Amino acid sequence: MVEVVGRYVIDYYRWVKGIFSLLYGILYWIILGPFKGKVVGRVSVFSQMVFMGVRSIVIVFFVDIFTGIVLAMQTAYQLEKMGAVIYVASIVAVSACRELAPVLTALVVAGRVGSSIAAELGTMKVTEQIEALETMAINPVRFLAVPRFSALFFMLPALTILGNLSAILGGYIVGTNNLGISPDLYMQTTFKYLKLKDVYTGLFKSFIFAMIIALVGCYEGLNAKGGAEGVGRVTTRSVVISFILIILADCIITAFFYFSKV
Amino acid sequence: MSQKECPKGKEALISLENVSKVFQGKKVIDNVSFDIHCGETFVIMGCSGSGKSTLLRLMTGAIRPDEGRILLRGKDIATMTASEMDEVRKTFGMAFQYSALLDSLTIEENVALPLKEHTKLADEIIGIIIKMKLALVGLRGYESYLPSQISGGMRKRVGFARAIALDPDIVFYDEPTSGLDPVVGGVIDKLIKDLSAKLMITSIVVTHDMQSVFGISDRVAMIHKGKLVEVNTPEEIRSSKNPFVQQFIHGEPTGPIDLFKEDIGIPEALGL
Repeated sequence: MVEVVGRYVIDYYRWVKGIFSLLYGILYWIILGPFKGKVVGRVSVFSQMVFMGVRSIVIVFFVDIFTGIVLAMQTAYQLEKMGAVIYVASIVAVSACRELAPVLTALVVAGRVGSSIAAELGTMKVTEQIEALETMAINPVRFLAVPRFSALFFMLPALTILGNLSAILGGYIVGTNNLGISPDLYMQTTFKYLKLKDVYTGLFKSFIFAMIIALVGCYEGLNAKGGAEGVGRVTTRSVVISFILIILADCIITAFFYFSKV
Repeated sequence: MSQKECPKGKEALISLENVSKVFQGKKVIDNVSFDIHCGETFVIMGCSGSGKSTLLRLMTGAIRPDEGRILLRGKDIATMTASEMDEVRKTFGMAFQYSALLDSLTIEENVALPLKEHTKLADEIIGIIIKMKLALVGLRGYESYLPSQISGGMRKRVGFARAIALDPDIVFYDEPTSGLDPVVGGVIDKLIKDLSAKLMITSIVVTHDMQSVFGISDRVAMIHKGKLVEVNTPEEIRSSKNPFVQQFIHGEPTGPIDLFKEDIGIPEALGL
């Protein structure tokens, strides 16, 4: 029993150390790479941004608009009893921007992009492509992880902004069509209570979530072992670990903003 | 270092001195020592799992020895820093068993990769070099293909073109003819000989294909269970009195190399 627990602790320690070592490597190449004449390829970052961001637009839009619709209906169900149905607009906007859009967008992207990063790098690892890069004196972290990390770091907040707007649109559809709120009043109420800090606390979360998804996907992929089965294992692991860490980070960041009254 | 500074057969380019490597408590390379000379084609042969690919990975610096030294031009690669090792790696090329081409890049981009990473050449010059390298391996016209769109033998040749992209002094070949039909295997062997002669490259080839061993080698080393059995010229290997060597080159199922009894244990499991 002690041996099993000890092994888990050691494995966990190695994993955390590996993640921070990867983060160090990525930041090292982003900051110092240009001074060593090793600039991150704009083309590879751009192609990753297209894959991660542009091709996630549809799924993020649908997930967040339906969440906005559901949220509006659920809050209206309670607020109607108090005659305060107008506040549906502000509740949808604030809860979407502070919480729901950043988290749901991150979970969608973790499932779509994080798994793809782990599977792609994992396949490269088990087919000796990573070793080939090392043999050519090409650092795999710089060549593979940095473009993916950089692209997701910019695209997840961009998708989150889209998610915010989609959720507000979802609430607007329900509010103006089913709850008898006029379009002007709905938008006025939305922007009366939605503060800039609500948006940027949500965006701050999305930057952290982007780092989590990219780091976990890259780390799991670069450490894949054992052929197709190993690639499948790291792909699943990357999604499960990203989900857990996103929710955990969300809890910590929300607590921080709540208790520091930001 | 050019071949003019290192005449064929006169100087050890790579020296292994009592090299051992342990994986999960098992000694996969056991006290191996030999020299590889400039300009020669040195073949390492042995059964599957004998440790020959591990030996290759030790020489390329992919893994470090647990004991002994690996000297490349007199300098121990095990003590080199990562940046020193990267500088060394720019002077050699590696052709992998399964080619290890980057799936997402075209043939042209794969061969161009080391040139774009390690030189400041203009794109036009790199384009000309790629055409020359692909012509050397007989693949002009395939620049825009993806690795998944060409055959296994062609992928191996693209791997060769990538390995020689930076005009290296040494090229390592890991099982260059495995999984290929005899004709394509013969083409690959001829290509290794031609590249070695035309570009004056020191070639280190790991294989268990006897056609390759006797077709391309200047000297041959046999490895069995991580130990060096013999190092000699192909003619002397062919007439060797060593029973391990004789069994291996003739492909005899019985002899001192007893895979079932020693490695797999199936006869014991079946009570035979």
